[in-house]
Parts: sequence; C-alpha cells; structure tokens
Amino acid sequence: MARTITYIDAINEALHQEMERDSRVCILGEDLGMGGGVFKATAGLYQKFGEERVLDSPLAEGIIIAAAIGASLVGYRPVPEIQFADFIGDAVDPILQQAAKLRYRSAGGYSCPITIRVCWGGGTGGGLYHSQENTTWFAHEPGIRVLAPSTAYDAKGMLIAAIRDENPVLFFEHKKLYRTAKSEVPEEPYTVSLDEAAVRRPGRDMTVLTYGYMASVVMEAAEEMAKRGVDAEVVDLRTLAPLDKKTIVESVRKTNRCLIVHEDTKTLGIGAELSAILNEEAFDDLDAPIMRVTGPDVPPVPFSPPLEKFFMVDKEKVLAGMEKLAAY
Amino acid sequence: MATKVNRATAVGDAPASRHSPELLLGLYRMMVKCRMCDEKARILFKQGKYAGNFYSNVGQEGGEVGAAFSLREDDWVAPSHRDWTSCIVKGAPLKACFAQLYGKTDSPDRGKSTPAHMGYPELHIITPASTIAAQLMIGTGVAWGLKRQAKDSVVVSFCGDGATSIGWFHEALNFAGVHRLPMLYVVQNNLWAESVPLRLQTALTDLSDRAKGHGITGVSVDGNDILAVYDAATKAIARARAGQGPTVLECKTYRWYGHSEIDPAKYRMPEEVAEWKKKDPIPRFEKYLADRKLLSDQIKKQVRDEITREIDEAVEFAEKSPYPAPEEALEHIWA
Repeated sequence: MARTITYIDAINEALHQEMERDSRVCILGEDLGMGGGVFKATAGLYQKFGEERVLDSPLAEGIIIAAAIGASLVGYRPVPEIQFADFIGDAVDPILQQAAKLRYRSAGGYSCPITIRVCWGGGTGGGLYHSQENTTWFAHEPGIRVLAPSTAYDAKGMLIAAIRDENPVLFFEHKKLYRTAKSEVPEEPYTVSLDEAAVRRPGRDMTVLTYGYMASVVMEAAEEMAKRGVDAEVVDLRTLAPLDKKTIVESVRKTNRCLIVHEDTKTLGIGAELSAILNEEAFDDLDAPIMRVTGPDVPPVPFSPPLEKFFMVDKEKVLAGMEKLAAY
Repeated sequence: MATKVNRATAVGDAPASRHSPELLLGLYRMMVKCRMCDEKARILFKQGKYAGNFYSNVGQEGGEVGAAFSLREDDWVAPSHRDWTSCIVKGAPLKACFAQLYGKTDSPDRGKSTPAHMGYPELHIITPASTIAAQLMIGTGVAWGLKRQAKDSVVVSFCGDGATSIGWFHEALNFAGVHRLPMLYVVQNNLWAESVPLRLQTALTDLSDRAKGHGITGVSVDGNDILAVYDAATKAIARARAGQGPTVLECKTYRWYGHSEIDPAKYRMPEEVAEWKKKDPIPRFEKYLADRKLLSDQIKKQVRDEITREIDEAVEFAEKSPYPAPEEALEHIWA
C-alpha cells in the first residue's frame, strides 16, 4: 500500500527492508549507528540489526570504502556512507581506482557490489564544505554507476535496485530533498531501473535535462512556462553514469531544443557531456544552440546568504534560460 | 639426560632445527623458485619479450616466502606491484604467472593488468592496483568480512617501506586494530622507496613501531633469514586465526635491482648493493641446510634443474598463448 513519505524516510525504509531481506547487506560510516546518521537516514538500523551489521566506523573515509570493498569480495553487500560529498576526497582512490576497476583489472574474477550513499548539494547554508556536488568526478570513470534520484519514490526503488546490483554504485542523495521531496511510496520493496531517465513532464517545445534537487526547481519553472505558452519536456536523468542516451536523444529529436540545468559548476559539468552527446547524435534535429543554466565557476558554495543565493540555480534563473531558448 | 632431537639436526655443531626436513626443503625450494622465476622475468623483459615493466623482488625472497609459505588455500593474499612471486608461493600455476607477464589470454586477467600486477581469484589473491597501500586497505576489508563470517582464514598483505608513510596504511592498521582483524601486514623494508632512502621516509628505525600507534602487535625480523620470517609469520597467523588480532611484520631486507626494470638505480652506492648481495638469503639458508646435512650439491642441482624445466614450459606456454582480441578492452567493465 502506498502512502506519502519523505525522501529520507524512503531511504531509511529501503535500508530496513533490504537488511531484513538479505543478511549480506551491512552498513558502515560515520555517526550512522548509535547516532542514526546526521540526517537520520539510518535511524533505527543499529537498534534492529546491531553492531555486526550497522557499524560506526573510525573517522576515515578511505577505510570506510575500502572495508566495504574488501567485505564485498567475501560475499557481503555493503552500503557504506560518506556523510558529506565534500569529505569524499580521502575515498577517491578506493572508489575510482579500486571499486570501479576491480572487475576490469581482474577480467571479471572479482566484482564489487557495494552501494556508497553520499549526501550532497547546496542551498541549505552549509557553506564551502557541506554543500558540494562532485558527481562528475565519478561519472567520468567507467565501471561505477552514479545515481542521483530526485523523488522519494525513486530514492527507495533505486536504492534497493542499487543494493541488489552487481556493480559498484555511488548513490547521491541531495540533502535539500531529504525533507522537502515527498511522494507516494509503496510500503513493500520495489526496484526502479538504474539505466533509465524519467520523463517527468512531456512537452513539445523544448527539452530540459536535469537531475537531483534541480529536477523539482525545473518542474516548477516548466509549469510557469506552460502558462506563458511554452510546453517544456522535463527529463530527470536519475542516473549520471551510465547516461540513458536513448531517452535524452529521443526527447531532443522531438522538441528540437535543449536546455540543460544543473546545480554543479558549469565547466566540465555533466552539461558539457550532454551537449556533446546531442551534438553527435541529434545535431540535425536542433533548431537552437544547446543552452545551459548552471552554478557559476566559483568554489561551491560560498556561505553568506546572498553569496549562496548567487550560486544556486533557482526558478527565476531557470525561467530566464527557458525564455532565452524559446526566443531563439 | 637424553634429548629427543630432530633427526635432521643431530649433526656436527649445528644446533637442532625446530622444523622438519620436509618444511625446510620446501622453504628452500620455494625461495629458489621465486628467485629463478623473478630473474627469468627480468631477462624476458630485457629481451623485449613483453611490454610494460617489471618490479623485481630479488633479494627479498626471505620475506616473500617466509610470510606466505604456510598459508592455506582459503587464506587471502593482497600483494603489491613487487609481489608477483607471492602468487607463486600461494600456489598459482607458473604458466599463468608467465602468461601474466606477456599480457596474454591465459593470464588470470586476460591481459588487463600490467605484468607485475597479478591476482589469482581462485586462490584468493587480490589483483593489485599501482596505488601504494591500497592493497592493505582492501585486504583489511576482506579480513573484516572473514571475521564477521567467523572463519579462521587470514589475510596477508605485502607492502614496502614507502607504503608505511601514506595515510591509507594507517587507516588500515587502525581499523584492523579496532576490530582485531585476522591480518598480517608484511612490510618488506628494502631501504628504498623507488629512489627515496629510508632516512627521508621516516624517523623510525623499526617500521614495526608503526603498529604501536594503533595498539596492535609489531615485530621486526631479519628479512633475509627465512626461518626468522617464517617463525614470526606463523606465530602471527596463528594469533590471527585465534581471533587475537593483526600483526605488522617488518622484514629488513634489500632490493637488489632498481625500482623497476627501467630504473638503473644510480642513486644507490655500489658498495651498499654489494654489501647486501653478500647477505643473500638463499646461500645463507643453503649453509643452514648443509650444516644439517639436508642439502648437497646434488640436491641443489636437482632443485634448479626441475625449476628450470618448469619455467621453460611456462615461458613456452605464455609465448604460445594468444593475445586478447582488441575488442576485449570493452569487456569486464560492467556486471
């Protein structure tokens, strides 16, 4: 039976259900056991499953990920947590050089089914080191899935699918969505495809490609644009690696215009790759240049409220981008 | 009072060995095998038989063989780039080891990894990366999993002196200490991390002191004394199997050649190299065995002849093994 719950409750529920279903699932990270996680994503798990399966790790991101990788080699399906994406630096080698490449470098002799939960994103006053997005550091690397669900429904279904997937997965959870995003979520476990983007709003006049918290901002802007006579199709990427090129290209072939919206800084953000894909595969279908609305190329995210507002993409900035594209 | 002595040791002035002749000769044969395979790998590289590079372990066989010789099939090894021969000790077929050098389809990774970065999943040898100390962290994760499964398997991970400086070495030791994991960290202290001498690596004299800071056991031994290594390793492994936690075992030794086969190692004084070559672990052990009438010139020749034949067969196999099709580059990325 479905009921309306928040994004963070959906994640919590997915963890509870997968740990009940499969004794190989275990979690580890900072403050997530007895403390239940700084955002309470892991609340109740320690009490239910104990320290054997819900481990408060030392304050060391490298071993959090590496311990998960090692445990996965002996049959576990660990779900390590990086408390803030800003702290992932120490774990970059374990993620990119080990988890993402173990299957390749052993020609399939080893696989590494871990799901790394990462809290990311700005707009909550977190400042320079509690706001970052670094999805593209990892989306650049073949061999690891990079997911960024935008709804509570997807958060639960994609987290369950990720835990059951044989590939290593980075599961980016936008902290601004934790308690603002709510949707009808079935109580029972279910999975959502890890290979498909979602068309959130069908439209004729332009395609807007986005993901994460920005998906909700873009949806509001698209409704506003509809009132102004522009019917936008909103594609929520959901998965940044591998990208669902088929859905992306088909949408732009239909609408002939494309706006890319992301919170991440502009240079070499995922928008650059999306634009290149469309250049290669839909050039003849374009009636206008591909345009981008993104965070500015400054260290994300400056703290003081006016500075943060300057950084963050909001509805007004998206509307301005949509107007510009529509007028071209 | 009559003392019951090992039948192998009641000879001349040599004190009794604690070990059986079978074990002693097994250790000897394995050291010679590692030496001969390693030297062959170097020659083949210099002959241009395979691409890439090779990281010789010659001079360090006491640590390599002594630490891993007693491992069971269900135990794990997490090697570094310099531990190609640890695969031989763990029991990987020589044919696979040489196919690995050649990047052929009969190598365990079908040519994906470079020559010295060999794993062997069937024997729980973790295919290494080049990033230093990463193997210690992943090995530690494996040990965490094994402990949770209440198995008495252990993980032996090798690294050099340089690896003890990087943060991941400490993250691994710390975690292993907290959870008393069945880990043996073998530090092959060969005095040089590529071209950086130990004095610029650390203020420590004994690298096993690194263990103290993490509340775990640390032991330093003469790495060129295979029995000292073997005894310390088997003790540590027994403790690990019994749930008594991890050990750092420093083997003080020397890397005879450059960091890799393209490194002439001009940064080292020839006198230092010559001095260490006199401490070669193999003649030293040969003397130990000969003093106990366990080794004759005939046996030495027999051992070498057998290994030569095995190597020749393995090299021929590797040379005949096909290269992967170019498109195999696209395989094994995703499950």
